[in-house]
Amino acid sequence: MRSKLLRKLIGGLSFTTALFVFQACYGTPQDFGSDLYVEGIVKSKKTGAPIKGIKVSVENFPQYEFTAEDGSFSLYTEIAPLCKIMFEDADSDQNGAFLDKDTILTNPFGEIHLDILLEDK
Amino acid sequence: MHPFIGKRIFHWFRKSETSNHELNYLFWECTSRCNLNCLHCGSDCSKNGKVADMPLKDFLTALDSIETKPDNFQVVLTGGEPLLRNDIELCGREIRKRGVRWSMVTNGYLYDRQRHISLLNAGLGALTISLDGLEESHNWLRNSKYSFSSVDRAINLAVSSSRLNFDVVTCVNKRNFTELPSLYNYLTGKGVKAWRLFTIIPVGRAKNNIDLLLTGKQLKELMDFICLHRKLNSIDVKFSCEGYLGPYELKTRDSYFFCRAGINIGSVLADGSISACPNIDRSFVQGNIYNDNFFEVWQSRFRPFRERGWTKTGQCGKCSLYKDCLGNGMHNWHYDKRNVLVCHNEKIMEGLKS
Repeated sequence: MRSKLLRKLIGGLSFTTALFVFQACYGTPQDFGSDLYVEGIVKSKKTGAPIKGIKVSVENFPQYEFTAEDGSFSLYTEIAPLCKIMFEDADSDQNGAFLDKDTILTNPFGEIHLDILLEDK
Repeated sequence: MHPFIGKRIFHWFRKSETSNHELNYLFWECTSRCNLNCLHCGSDCSKNGKVADMPLKDFLTALDSIETKPDNFQVVLTGGEPLLRNDIELCGREIRKRGVRWSMVTNGYLYDRQRHISLLNAGLGALTISLDGLEESHNWLRNSKYSFSSVDRAINLAVSSSRLNFDVVTCVNKRNFTELPSLYNYLTGKGVKAWRLFTIIPVGRAKNNIDLLLTGKQLKELMDFICLHRKLNSIDVKFSCEGYLGPYELKTRDSYFFCRAGINIGSVLADGSISACPNIDRSFVQGNIYNDNFFEVWQSRFRPFRERGWTKTGQCGKCSLYKDCLGNGMHNWHYDKRNVLVCHNEKIMEGLKS
């Protein structure tokens, strides 16, 4: 127990960081980055029914995902002070026709759940 | 700090780390299948694999057995080639659901834009891509005429993501040895931030291929190359943790040589075997997740990894540097274990004399 406490104490001192940051021979670097987990459900504002096939993307990042049969989506993305999540009806009239919508998250952190209602076109 | 004092502190630190053996880094050999047939492969992987891919739930059972996971605990997916699994994103998401970071080692062949996006969506945080030379020598080693163009695409994608902690690894051999300056320019030109250089040890398919193994003079020149380019600071270039480097310790890496296999690094191999780094001889396997509780094995076994005195045999038995090296990297102990397979320091000394 004492040695574990000592390890934590030493690990907290920046000059020894190189001792604790290691990488196995055939492994990857360690992941010290931060990201944001965004999940939610997209539904029709008019009927309340879940919408499949809505493209969910994050402004300024290449990532996107399409909502599933139950309208759900989830993705990890980079943290930004202003994170704009965009919802786009990308499959034309298939699964209905809806207006696009953006949601801006200010100083987002950790896990975010969004319930999105899209209006009919 | 005086080098003698620094080394003493390091010895204490290493002893303390060994005694604590906190599991920080867990490899999952999620498939033994591979889409390449590299000349230097130490694992003898094949397109079909000798062992079926482990079901995700079996690995998760092993992961869930770990009672206390440190903040920096990470799962590293490796193979074979992990991207041959169609459920790799699901694997990543399930790992993240448990509050654990995950990363992946890939040959880059299947790493296209679509896969890059789906992996980021699944919470991939770090990535290693293998590049073994300029086009001709990379394709020669990888035994595929399309491999270089695929890796080039994969590197471009990885560089474009500021989320990924990403590095390129290169197995240095006789063919690509003279290309290292050009490779350096290629990587810096692309904006790659980290580059790790390996040598190849004579196991697996590399055992009988003399073209793959560096001479002492070449190894010494490789050390000089790394020293020189570390000073330029345009890319974090370093030698891998594969062995003790004698006069080049602290000059080619950020810290003293410390093989953490079985001390901070564990693995679940494709057939459920429990070990440390996947490139370590399978005779060191400590248990199997299909028979044993993974974390109990980690806590109570792993003696050959944590008490390295058995390596004081053969040429290590009479080596004056043994207390710094402790028998070199564990993956250098194969076959009858009567002698270390490669002594990097000895090769460097040969190079210094020639």
